[in-house]
Amino acid sequence: MTSFGVDAQCSISVIGLGNVFLGDDGFGPLVIETFRCSYACSESVEVIDLGTPGLDLAPYLYGKELVVIVDAVHSAMAPGTISFFREEDFVSSRAKLRITGHDPGLWESLAHLRLAGRAPAELIVLGVTPESCTFAEGISERIVEIAYEASASIAQLLRDRGIACFKRVQARKPNLWWFPLTEPPSITAV
Amino acid sequence: MARITIDPVTRIEGHLRIDVEVEGGVVNKAWASCTMWRGLEAILRGRDAREGWVFAQRFCGVCTTVHAIASVRAVEDALALDIPPNAQYIRNLILICHALHDHIVHFYHLSALDWVDIMSIPKADAAKAASIAEGSSSWSGNSRKELEAVQNKVKGLVASGQLGIFSHGYWGHPAMRLSPELNLIMFSHYLQALEFQRKSCQVVAILGGKTPHIQNLAVGGVMNAVNLNSLATLNMDRLGMLQAILEDLIPFVQQVFLVDNCLLAASYPEWFKYGRGVVNYLAVPDLPLDAKATKFDLPGGVIMNGDLASVRPIKDWKDDAFRKAVTEDSTHAWYQGGGRLQPYKGETIPDYTDFKEDAKYTWVKAPRYDGSPMQVGPLANILVGYAQGHPSTRKWTDSAFTQIESVHGLKVTPNDMQSTMGRYLARSIRSSMLADLALDHLNLLKTNILDGDDTTYNVPTFPKGEVMGMGMHEAPRGALSHWVVIENGAFTNYQAVVPTTWNASPRDDKGVPGPYETSLIGNPVVDAEKPLEVLRTVHSFDPCMACSCHTLDASGEEIAQVKVQ
Repeated sequence: MTSFGVDAQCSISVIGLGNVFLGDDGFGPLVIETFRCSYACSESVEVIDLGTPGLDLAPYLYGKELVVIVDAVHSAMAPGTISFFREEDFVSSRAKLRITGHDPGLWESLAHLRLAGRAPAELIVLGVTPESCTFAEGISERIVEIAYEASASIAQLLRDRGIACFKRVQARKPNLWWFPLTEPPSITAV
Repeated sequence: MARITIDPVTRIEGHLRIDVEVEGGVVNKAWASCTMWRGLEAILRGRDAREGWVFAQRFCGVCTTVHAIASVRAVEDALALDIPPNAQYIRNLILICHALHDHIVHFYHLSALDWVDIMSIPKADAAKAASIAEGSSSWSGNSRKELEAVQNKVKGLVASGQLGIFSHGYWGHPAMRLSPELNLIMFSHYLQALEFQRKSCQVVAILGGKTPHIQNLAVGGVMNAVNLNSLATLNMDRLGMLQAILEDLIPFVQQVFLVDNCLLAASYPEWFKYGRGVVNYLAVPDLPLDAKATKFDLPGGVIMNGDLASVRPIKDWKDDAFRKAVTEDSTHAWYQGGGRLQPYKGETIPDYTDFKEDAKYTWVKAPRYDGSPMQVGPLANILVGYAQGHPSTRKWTDSAFTQIESVHGLKVTPNDMQSTMGRYLARSIRSSMLADLALDHLNLLKTNILDGDDTTYNVPTFPKGEVMGMGMHEAPRGALSHWVVIENGAFTNYQAVVPTTWNASPRDDKGVPGPYETSLIGNPVVDAEKPLEVLRTVHSFDPCMACSCHTLDASGEEIAQVKVQ
């Protein structure tokens, strides 16, 4: 399992999308870090936080067998609800509706790759309805809890397709560097 | 008189609103408004200066690398820290490949469809197209078979009636004038570009550890371990892999991207007359060649009033005149205050009012250089290089001019470059230069390592009390500078003056408009409902408004609204 990006050796990608500074919009990156720390997968799986790449998403979808995208999804459902979308939901006529905050890039990247014959064979979006996407105010506690549930869902998605994915006996500590500072940094100035 | 509002402008990164007033088919007034707030500087205050770059590279989801590099350079400047040559070369390779990726995506995926009418492709004669393409380039991907395959895909798309992302193009617009064959050639490269976009990313990933958001940077150098005999480090295998990827990538840049821009320029010569705009140019030196950054492979400089002979070189990053000249004003931006502030003293306190064209109308501040608006980007880069006789700039600019003249009989001069078409052409010229430089810097790295130097990092030491620093980078969209104030190792102020701020600048305290706004004056608009010509000029700058946050509120259609009053 790598976090290399555009790795030709990996046929499966688990991708987090979102802006880490926009509160619950950082759900995607949060889940990626949580998943990496709680599960170990086959070498063929790339697990990566892509931030908000827009059209630069294309290289990470290029020629993959399976892509799982994790993102905040805007819906009428209660905050914290996890939902799943397939590619058809984006390309069907009703897909003029934005499903996630980042699907202009997703939709276009997929269309380009399809024309070039390089679209992923299967694409699934795992979304969570955010509580608040406010700048610099940190992620809601509720969404942090949901990240563990979402990680378990990703693991299940992979196992259902015969891809090895094990829960770590001892989970690592996620590096959530973008969370607001709770105490000042300790720097030795001389 | 018609008033046209395009909100948002599509096929750009981020959110931009453009308003123009059109009289007799010509634009006579224009406003550029960025509809997103960027307040990342506020997040950086109080953070450890050694990790500022990790945050800075999230300023934008697209140009992540450029902010990371400007951030470490700003802190290194404050500490007067030397950077080991290996680290300079590794950073340079990352910056070059990021820029190539960015320029390829801009031309093919973000702007080509302003000029290329894909609906005419089914009518093309593929054999004739192949002979045109093979006659103007030695690229191997222009065969009749290749072009026929692309034509069949487009035929299928048109027949399905489901154009998807292509359903909102201005197809059949009178300003679309390429032959069906040229449209087919360009669109075939549009699809091929996806593969080369990916190859550039692979170089960034191999050296940076991850892309987007490289992981190998550090204040003081890079964290790549160099050991030619170790499997786990930057070794001969890795260097060979980089060489192989670059050898695949370079022909696409020099034999396809540049050639397509020459074809475009020759087919739309009138666009050398439109979009001149602000003709003060600023480019900063980049691709440092030594530890103290005294020599550079890309020259910097300032040109005022479009007069190439007046160029003032910016020799290195210490340039005192640059540091004194840059100010930002928020008279017309949604921030408190209005006076011109030097970036070290810059403030970012929001004061939103709604779009008021005579007062505040954008989230972008108005940066000024000695009080004047400046145009930045590949065109500025090419013009300051050309004016100083920089060999690589001359070589590739003259090569483009010769191609346009010999194949298409059109004479282009450096002065013609100050235009909408010039900005497109400059981007492909710069990319061709960068493609050569990628191999040069890989060789510099290899030679230095083979000479026995494996240093990549100098440990930074922070003094007690306050220090200030400025980091520059000539990013894909132009001159970028980060200005930092550090006290006891933590940031107390952080301001980024980004390329799109220079170009998308609103009017300043004296009412002088910025480059986007000025370049639209005199632009033709044949059909107010379909302002394709406005998009051509705006897209020529490669707007990236995303040095900020993406808006997330709307769950409506992400389709540009064009309102005509």
